[in-house]
Amino acid sequence: MPRKESATKSAALHLTALLIGLFVAAPFVLMVLISLREPSTSLPQFSELIPEQAHWENYSQVLFMPEIPVLRFLFNSLLVTSVIVICQLFICSLAAYAFARMVFRGRNQLFLLVLMTMMFAGTVTQLPVFLMMRSVNWLDTYWALIIPGISSSFNIFLLRQFFLQIPKSMDEAARLDGASDWRICWSVVVPTSKAALATAGAFTFFAVWTDFFWPLLAVSSIRMRTLEVGLSIFKNSYGGTNWPLQMTAAVIVLLPLVIVFLAAQKFFVRGVTMGSVK
Amino acid sequence: MSIKRQNGLWFAAPAVLHMLVFAVIPIGYALYLSFFKWRPLVGEMEFVGLGAYAKILSDSSFWKSIWNSSVFTVASVPLGAAAALGAALLLTQRLKAAGFFRTLFYLPAICSQIAISMMWIYIYLPKTGLINMSLQMVGLSGETDFLNEPKLAMASLVFMSIWVGLGPKMILYMAGLMNIPQELNEASELDGAGPWYKFRKITLPLLGPTTLFVIVTSSIAAMQIFAPIYMMTKGGPDQATDMVGYHIYVEAWAKLNFGTAAAQSFILFAVVLVLSLVQLRMMKSQLEGWGAA
Amino acid sequence: MSRLTAWLLLLAVTGLVMSGCRGAGSGKTVLRVSSWGGAGDDSEFWRITREVYDEFERQNPDIELQLEMIPGSQEYAQKLLLSFVARSEPDVIALDASSSAAFVNSGVLLDLAPLASSDSEIDLVEFFPNVVDIARRGDEVFAVPLDFTPVVMYCNMRLFDEAGVPYPEPGWTWDDFLDKAQKLTKGDQYGFKFTNWMPGWVLWIWNGGSEVLNAEGDKASGTFNSSQNQETIQFLADLIEVHKAAPSLSQSAALGVDPFVDGLAAMEISGHWAMIGYSQSKAFTTDDILVVPMPTRDGSEPTTVMYEKGLAIGKNSKHKDEAWRFIKYMSSAEVQRKIQSTGLAVSARKDVTAERSTNDIERAFESIIPSARVPGGSITEGYSVVEMEGERAMDAVLKSGKTPKQALDIAAEAIDRYLEDH
Repeated sequence: MPRKESATKSAALHLTALLIGLFVAAPFVLMVLISLREPSTSLPQFSELIPEQAHWENYSQVLFMPEIPVLRFLFNSLLVTSVIVICQLFICSLAAYAFARMVFRGRNQLFLLVLMTMMFAGTVTQLPVFLMMRSVNWLDTYWALIIPGISSSFNIFLLRQFFLQIPKSMDEAARLDGASDWRICWSVVVPTSKAALATAGAFTFFAVWTDFFWPLLAVSSIRMRTLEVGLSIFKNSYGGTNWPLQMTAAVIVLLPLVIVFLAAQKFFVRGVTMGSVK
Repeated sequence: MSIKRQNGLWFAAPAVLHMLVFAVIPIGYALYLSFFKWRPLVGEMEFVGLGAYAKILSDSSFWKSIWNSSVFTVASVPLGAAAALGAALLLTQRLKAAGFFRTLFYLPAICSQIAISMMWIYIYLPKTGLINMSLQMVGLSGETDFLNEPKLAMASLVFMSIWVGLGPKMILYMAGLMNIPQELNEASELDGAGPWYKFRKITLPLLGPTTLFVIVTSSIAAMQIFAPIYMMTKGGPDQATDMVGYHIYVEAWAKLNFGTAAAQSFILFAVVLVLSLVQLRMMKSQLEGWGAA
Repeated sequence: MSRLTAWLLLLAVTGLVMSGCRGAGSGKTVLRVSSWGGAGDDSEFWRITREVYDEFERQNPDIELQLEMIPGSQEYAQKLLLSFVARSEPDVIALDASSSAAFVNSGVLLDLAPLASSDSEIDLVEFFPNVVDIARRGDEVFAVPLDFTPVVMYCNMRLFDEAGVPYPEPGWTWDDFLDKAQKLTKGDQYGFKFTNWMPGWVLWIWNGGSEVLNAEGDKASGTFNSSQNQETIQFLADLIEVHKAAPSLSQSAALGVDPFVDGLAAMEISGHWAMIGYSQSKAFTTDDILVVPMPTRDGSEPTTVMYEKGLAIGKNSKHKDEAWRFIKYMSSAEVQRKIQSTGLAVSARKDVTAERSTNDIERAFESIIPSARVPGGSITEGYSVVEMEGERAMDAVLKSGKTPKQALDIAAEAIDRYLEDH
């Protein structure tokens, strides 16, 4: 009797999961299907959603469009994102190590400041940062895209939480061997926190890759645009008429994100929860 | 033991310096800017004191955008949290392919907002959009222009935001659920408590800290939402979706009223600050646990 | 992990090195040219446009053109203004008359009059003087016009014939228009296609006998919310909602692509550029197109608006000489002939336009040109805000059921608040 009940319950649970899954997946499936349609044709009805013939050439058409250098956008996004990820992991690890395992004057006050900027950064800082970049003539260069992003309060916080969990005995041993804090940080604490670094790196990757507001303001010339800003141009340039090419461009933007996500997602459950209350 | 100790300030210095330059100083600079009327192209700056703030007080369209943001926040945050809790409860049950579903549910959150907005414009299209086609299948009109009807545009954005934000909140709730001691559940089952009673009296209260965290962080994000508005509605129709983040963007970067925009962003800043301070107060005990306060 | 890091670092370093010597590698001057419109397609128009640019690079081997695409007419002006604020503006700026005042009046452009008068290859006398005047301030000329178009009423004669409705004639009134539009509405076909695009519907305001701003161009209250304008907006709203002779904005969206091009609307208001789309229509040929002046409320002399594109040079450009060569090339008779053959607009050159007025459509355009006024955005800085507020007001009437008076009062107040500051 209880067995039967749990069987129906399990079926219902699976059905619910499938339905939600369908709801989440539908937009992605739709996007890919539309991207494979013939450009500038009328929009499909339900029965016509699966294109008779897949137009893979849409992808080469978008990538090699003469007016819009999508490959250049891709390069810019890769460059900016990878430099920021590397810098953040370095700078934030150092700071997190200091906040987690060192004692110095003003430590708690500084850390509180870090927490506060994590909560308040946003709309208010964009205009001043734009003007600061302007006064050093960095607008429309990679500097403006990169430098404001090379550290983040969120990652300092995240990494500190991880570092706190590493047993102190590990660095005590190293310290007895005469290791400095610098050595302990890079050869003891950081290597044991690979999962944390992967999480922080992936989060940063997503955030920078998909950032729209700042690159929209910081660069003007077409060769400096990132994929995300370039994509918004795609939307406008067809004014809602050429959906297949628009969706092709969207898939091109999303693909790197999905790859990084699938590669790093096993760390995610831990990573996300570290950032919250325990 | 403290022979070789280095000063931690040096380790924290790059990050702290960066924070000063790109967060702390800009906030002060924004305050300074808000006291000036400034046409950046011509270059003259005129001190107006609190003039910009006085103007904003009587600017009904700015307050409309604050109102719109509040409506969006109040609607999307609890709905989003409830959906995430539901999904978390589901995925912590005995379920085949739970890992697959977890990955899938998380996927929208890492995606480009611009790409997502384009997808959803298509989904909301009249006649050929996914939703309208479905409505047609069940015999309804299927000509609803979701994003261009003042009464529906906001609801459409809220609906989309639940889809986007499901994953991260779900993961937080899953962690929260796993931290609930198994004995508590078993004890209540021995007492003959039904699942609903158990959920209300045990699960929900114990998830309190998680819920607080979810609500506060997603409120802050919701108050500042920008990209979907920029891409999908431009604040329209008839200002129905003009939320404060987008409103300030237009003021600063379309109208080039830097002073007014700075003042407006400060008002938004104050709103978010109050929101966060309330949160900090409520989380004080947790903060002490982290050794920060 | 470490290999990945090394790879990323390599990428970063090459990128930074590349950015350091942008364009310098080829030894060519990179000339940045702003342009509205976005990604091209396989159409005749794009084929010729690309050909024209390639030819310039062939003739000027020391120059590499870099087109800076900014699609969307409002975004175009905004993004371009911002690039001036950021001090990273393009060298050659395509000025859209409907937003040109913001640039011309703020002193960020180079005065081209001295260049033109000392250069034997170009003579501004060869251009229509009222078109040159759009960017003229006293003796200074800040842009060389390329082409322009009056906005006209297009009629699909095929649909008129099918419904047995006589074609409109110059001097027609709003009543005539409404009558025809109603008779042309049947099934899924509409008499008129209306879009909430203020550069298009501002004509109704003017031909209804009123204005958007006062004579000085610095105040909207009292003019934009005048009783005539309230009636005008009501007329348009009734056309859609009461007479159903034009699709509602939602219905328009549901129709997907352009209902006029698909042969599902008999009349629409647009500029010469619409001919590019018409020539690709599967529902009619350009021989079915009739071009007529706007109807007016009382049958008086109609007015229309003239949209124009000119080329300007940023005052701080480092490549003024190259930029000037490009402007001369683009405004030359030869290039104008090529580009205007696509149906884009009316050339600002008198000679090219005279050559081309061989058919009824071009002649109709020519006859409408004298009644065309310059757009508000070529006089008033920040006119895009006026248009934003105007479109919002139209939305408010058509979608959220506000009365024209309520909507226009709100818009006028918002416009005044903005113009006061500027």
